[in-house]
This record gives sequence, structure tokens and C-alpha cells, in this order.
Amino acid sequence: MMLSVNDLRVSYGAIQAIHGVSFSVDKGEIVTLIGANGAGKSTILKTISGLLRPKAGVIMFEDAPIHSLEPHRIVKLGLAQSPEGRRIFQQMTVMENLEMGAFIRGNRANLSSVYDSVFRSFPRLKERRRQLAGTLSGGEQQMLAIGRALMGNPRLLMLDEPSMGLSPILVEEIFRIIRQMSADGITILLVEQNAQMALSVANRAYVLETGRVVKEGEASSFMGDEAVRRAYLGL
Amino acid sequence: MNTLIIQIINGLHVGSVYALIALGYTMVYGIVKLINFAHGDVIMVGAYITLSLLSSAALPFGIAAGLGILFCAALGVAVERIAYKPLRNAPRISSLITTIGVSYFLQNAVQMIYSPTPRPFPIRINIPAVAIGSLRISGLTFVTILVAVLLMIALEAFVRRTRTGKAMRAVSEDLQAAQLMGVNINTTISVTFAIGAALAAVGAILYSTAYPSISPTMGAMPGLKAFIAAVLGGIGIMPGAMLGGFLMGVAESLTKGYISTQLSDAVVFGILIVVLLVKPSGILGRHASEKV
Repeated sequence: MMLSVNDLRVSYGAIQAIHGVSFSVDKGEIVTLIGANGAGKSTILKTISGLLRPKAGVIMFEDAPIHSLEPHRIVKLGLAQSPEGRRIFQQMTVMENLEMGAFIRGNRANLSSVYDSVFRSFPRLKERRRQLAGTLSGGEQQMLAIGRALMGNPRLLMLDEPSMGLSPILVEEIFRIIRQMSADGITILLVEQNAQMALSVANRAYVLETGRVVKEGEASSFMGDEAVRRAYLGL
Repeated sequence: MNTLIIQIINGLHVGSVYALIALGYTMVYGIVKLINFAHGDVIMVGAYITLSLLSSAALPFGIAAGLGILFCAALGVAVERIAYKPLRNAPRISSLITTIGVSYFLQNAVQMIYSPTPRPFPIRINIPAVAIGSLRISGLTFVTILVAVLLMIALEAFVRRTRTGKAMRAVSEDLQAAQLMGVNINTTISVTFAIGAALAAVGAILYSTAYPSISPTMGAMPGLKAFIAAVLGGIGIMPGAMLGGFLMGVAESLTKGYISTQLSDAVVFGILIVVLLVKPSGILGRHASEKV
């Protein structure tokens, strides 16, 4: 088991947002967490990355507990996140954003092959590498957010709403890249509101509702389940 | 005409000290969104430590100044770790009040150790005056402006080019995203406080050589003016702090030269009021950038 989350409980002050969520991600899998706005998907990813502290529960990454580690330690273990809303550094250039993605590799690392592989996946970023990231289009910013997360050579990549606000063509492109990353051996935990697209790439899925897992199983089984389709996929 | 130029150069002299101190305010604000009102007192501590090393330990000026700067850098880090870090997730006002508390603590601690009586600051360096055309600029003025400008260039290069400097910019723009890159924010914040306090200490030494009387409350006025300089230029923006510092110094010097010495502080604080009314984000300030 690459990542396992057991009975996770997270609160914002007095308000509990996550009520005992358990799930796991196996090496090589694409697992998706789907659910409506406010179901707690981003909260779970933030907690895994160490940006939020759980009130209770255990998070294991490659058989070591990580729920009390500081965020930068968790990144160094090979668990990266491309956060919701992209969160690229707008005042820095595209190149500097990618450098920040490789921050954990230290000063002396030879990164030229890493840049090459990111630029192969995202040719537009290469054209715009000297530009300030804030001047990129929405789609390009999302490419940069994913490319930046790849610079640290993660073993598990968490993507929070990578398709948000993008045109259908760009959504297709993002999901093509997700498949490609998976084929390249990166394990992926995908949080999406676009459940249909998420289920089309995922091996397994968990459906969240107000901080609880209400359904889990093979992604393909969800697509065929009429009740699930109506309730969660809006189809 | 010559008087005007001399007044402007005098303004740049004191302005470069303000600029050095203002950088500390603005860098700390950029990283932790906190106005560190104890920053001005670092100037005072720097002056006292350097004074002690010069008089009691009889060290040469350069070594005493260097040690004073290092001490202040360590003090800046210690203050952040002890007083501000535990409040990082507390309401902003709690940290703000704490910075004022630290300010009083430092003033009173120095008063206990050294007595409240002002002391002369011994200057043992003689720098020959520099002549540019028919103008004679005092060596001290020349060196002060030169040191300040060189430090600003070095700081800008550090923040633009080095890995730590880029981490500082990333943290300043988006703390959580920087953490997701693997940046240790505690280290970054400490480095920021160390650099800010070290620059203030340099400012302190330059200030004390120009106004060679030091007292436990000496940091208040230059500290406040540097803070205004940082706001004037745009708080959180480093070139803004430099610009604001120089503008404040020149405004002060011209008021002293052409209007009245007593009014100079009033003019300086008047600038703050005007800035807050006209462009609260400062001269180089940006409006909060919109997400595309």
C-alpha cells in the first residue's frame, strides 16, 4: 500500500469537516476522490500534505506515518501536490516556478533532463519560460502547476481539481497528461468535481459526502451504476 | 543651486539609513504579513553592542561593527522564534501587539544594562571628504550612501538569484504553495528576520556615526520613519522600501533646509497621511492581483 488513510478526522476550529475517512492508494494506481463542492476533498489533500493537522486518524505513506510531519518533510518523501486553484507563483517566471518545484532536489542537482521531460509534456511552457507566470492563460497555468509538481520527481502525485475552469479541449488535454504520467509510473490521487472524466481515467474511486466516504469501488462499476450516476455524476 | 544639491545629498545620506531599516520592515511584512514594531529597537541594540565592543573591548571599528551586525541578526531570529512564532496562527492583532511588547522589552533591558543616560558614540574613523566639481561631500555621507546602495544591490541579487532568495519570494507570494514545494518556512522566516535585523544594524552604525549620541529610545524615531518609508514605497515590496527611504530622507532634509527644522518631522508624518489617503498601497504598490 503506497498511501493509506485511516479514520481521518479534521476540524476547522469547532467545525468538523472530515468525519472518519478511510481510503488507500496502491502503487501504480489512479485513485479518485469525487463528490460535490464542500464534501471535504481538498481538506483531505491538505491534511495529507501536512498543511492541516488531523484531529485524529492515521496517514501512512510507504509504511511510515506522516500525519505529524511538517509539509516540507512530506514533500521530500516523494508525495507532491498540485493544489486547487493552481497556486502558481504569479510574480515569478515560468522557469522560476519550475525551479521551485525542484526545490527539494537541492542546489547542485543537474536538472536539465528534468526540464526536458517537463517541456516534452508541456511544450507551451518552454515557449513561455521567461514570462511571468501570472501572464499565462488559465490552461497554461494549470500545465505549469502540474509541471512544477513533477519537477520534484514525486512517487505519488495528488492533483486537486486539475480541470477546474478549463475549456473542454483543455480538460481532455489534462486527462491525457494524467494518463501519460500514470503510464510513466507515477501513482496518482485525483480530486475532481468532473466525476465522469475522473472515473474514465481512474482505477478506483471513493465518493465523499459532507466529510464521509459514502461509496467506494472500481471506477468502472460507478459508471454503470444508475443510482450513482444520478446522485453523484449529475447524469 | 549648490545649497539645493547639498541638501539633497544630505537627504540621501539619512535616506539611505531609512532605506536600510525600511527593508527589514518590508521583507518581514512580505513573508509573515506582520509589522514588526520592535525592528526600530534593533537599531538601538546594534548601536549599544557596537559601542560596548568599541569602548570596553577596545576592538577595531570594523570588527566591532561586524560583531554588532551578527549579534543583531541573531537577535532578530531569536525574537521571531520566541515571541512571534507561537502566534503565527493567532489573530494578526495579537502578533502586532506582541511586537510592541518586544519593543518595550528591548528598550527597558538596555536601560537596565546600560542606564538611560545618552552616551556619545565614538567614531574612530576619518574619511576624507570627496570633491565632485565645486561640491565637497563629507566622507561619511559618501560612505553611507555607497554602503547602502551596495547592500541593496547585493540583497536584490540574493533574492533574484539564490535558491534561498527564490524560496523567500515564493513564501512571500503564497506560503502554502511554497510549503508544497518543500520549502521549510521556519528556515525561510528566520533568514528573513536575520537579514532584516542585520541591515538595520548596518543602518544603526551609519546612523550613530552621523548622530553620535545613543540612548535606549534612539530607535523609535528612525524606526518609525523607516516604517513610513516602507509604507510610502509599498509595504512588502523591496524596491519600494529603498525608494521610500530615499524620498523620506530628501523630504526631511529639504524641509529642514528651506522651511523649518522643527517642522521636518511633521512633514514626514504628513507624508504618511497623504499616502494613506491617496494611494494606500504605496508608490510601487500593486492592487491585489486577480486570478485568471
